[in-house]
Amino acid sequence: MNAPTALETLVESLRCLPGVGPRSAQRMAFYLLQHDRDGAERLAQALSGALITIHHCSQCNNFTEAEVCELCASERRDGRLLCVIESPADLLMMEQTHAYKGQYFVLMGRISPLDGIGPQEIRLDRLVKRACNGVTEEIILATNFTAEGEATAHAISELLRPKGLRVSRIARGLPVGGELEYVDSGTLAQALLERRSATD
Amino acid sequence: MMNALLNSWVMVSERRHSASTAFVLHSIPWRETSQIVELFSAEHGRIPLVAKGARRPRSALRGLLQPFQPLRVTWFGAGELRTLKQAEWQGGVPLLKGSALFCGFYLNELLLRLLVRDDPHQNLFELYQQALVQLATHAPFEPVLRAFEVNLLRELGYALQLTHEADGRCPIDPEAHYTYAVELGPVRLTQQVAQSSNTVQFIGKTLLDMARGHYENISTLNQSKQLMRVLLGHYLGGQDLHSRRIIQELPLL
Repeated sequence: MNAPTALETLVESLRCLPGVGPRSAQRMAFYLLQHDRDGAERLAQALSGALITIHHCSQCNNFTEAEVCELCASERRDGRLLCVIESPADLLMMEQTHAYKGQYFVLMGRISPLDGIGPQEIRLDRLVKRACNGVTEEIILATNFTAEGEATAHAISELLRPKGLRVSRIARGLPVGGELEYVDSGTLAQALLERRSATD
Repeated sequence: MMNALLNSWVMVSERRHSASTAFVLHSIPWRETSQIVELFSAEHGRIPLVAKGARRPRSALRGLLQPFQPLRVTWFGAGELRTLKQAEWQGGVPLLKGSALFCGFYLNELLLRLLVRDDPHQNLFELYQQALVQLATHAPFEPVLRAFEVNLLRELGYALQLTHEADGRCPIDPEAHYTYAVELGPVRLTQQVAQSSNTVQFIGKTLLDMARGHYENISTLNQSKQLMRVLLGHYLGGQDLHSRRIIQELPLL
């Protein structure tokens, strides 16, 4: 067997992108080589630059170029609150709410027993270390309301409650502006089970 | 000619529509917006379905194809991997919470690893649903898991010999010591062997309790757990279960 040519290597490498199969990868490779060699050069440099400079924030585990990311370094964030989320995209959504002024910890995954992903694989020990810095008082679990997200939330709560931290979970129920007639039965059933006193 | 062919093909594929109550055992992302769900259905056993577009932000299926919740599912297709047409939430099983979730994952992993695809097990389906309801309603976990394991092996055709020795004649003596010969049954140990041997051993009462599904006794619980671990290990081909390792890593149970 011959060693793969540079073109084959490029096509094969492009396939690592999500949603890119052999045909799209080939199209991208030809486009870059034929029509946009400058763009290809920029892409190559941007990629290798990003790989060198971007790493995980030592505080929140999110992607950053600095040792500690801007959000963690900011003095306007309330260090007593720590919100645990699964991914950087979740962090952006939380920030869009403008309802949260605390800090974050990004798990970069979730516990998924059937995929062999447990507390060690998502390095929950780092979260425990971060949460026990003496300043944090409350942990807000904002993992997804999927079976895996719930399992992750439970595991974290079992790890952190014995350390004397207050652990809370974001609420689940009808969406804002939700109408009973149009909401799915699973959500409605759960909202009924998790109902709360109306005097709050 | 083409039309006739097409018509007959449409009729055949329509006839291949099926529906059943089912639980999602596991799902993996597939392509950009779809996922492949492995279902345990009441009437068709374990089947893989591709749920097209289920990962799109506004898909009606998004959030519905979760494990531990009974769904009314319809699908079509003739190959091994069929296509999900519709799924409806059925209700009736409370959501698993906390440590019970990890037990649920354990049951799902057992089913994924031990069930052959397209092999209907209606009894087992009902036992699985019962086990989920028990886990969700705060029954002590371990008896539920042990009973399910024993039922699972029986439904798969590997029923355990629990009331008589491997030879099928001598009834089990609650006081005597036994070991278990895989696929044969309990073998009585003499006092001397019982003290020196390092195989998994237990007293007869454990076997008799397991046969009746009674796990209140602490010693029965401990001994049946060790026995089932050895037996399941055999049928799993010696491979470890992820969910068991993860339960052990967490301070949960």
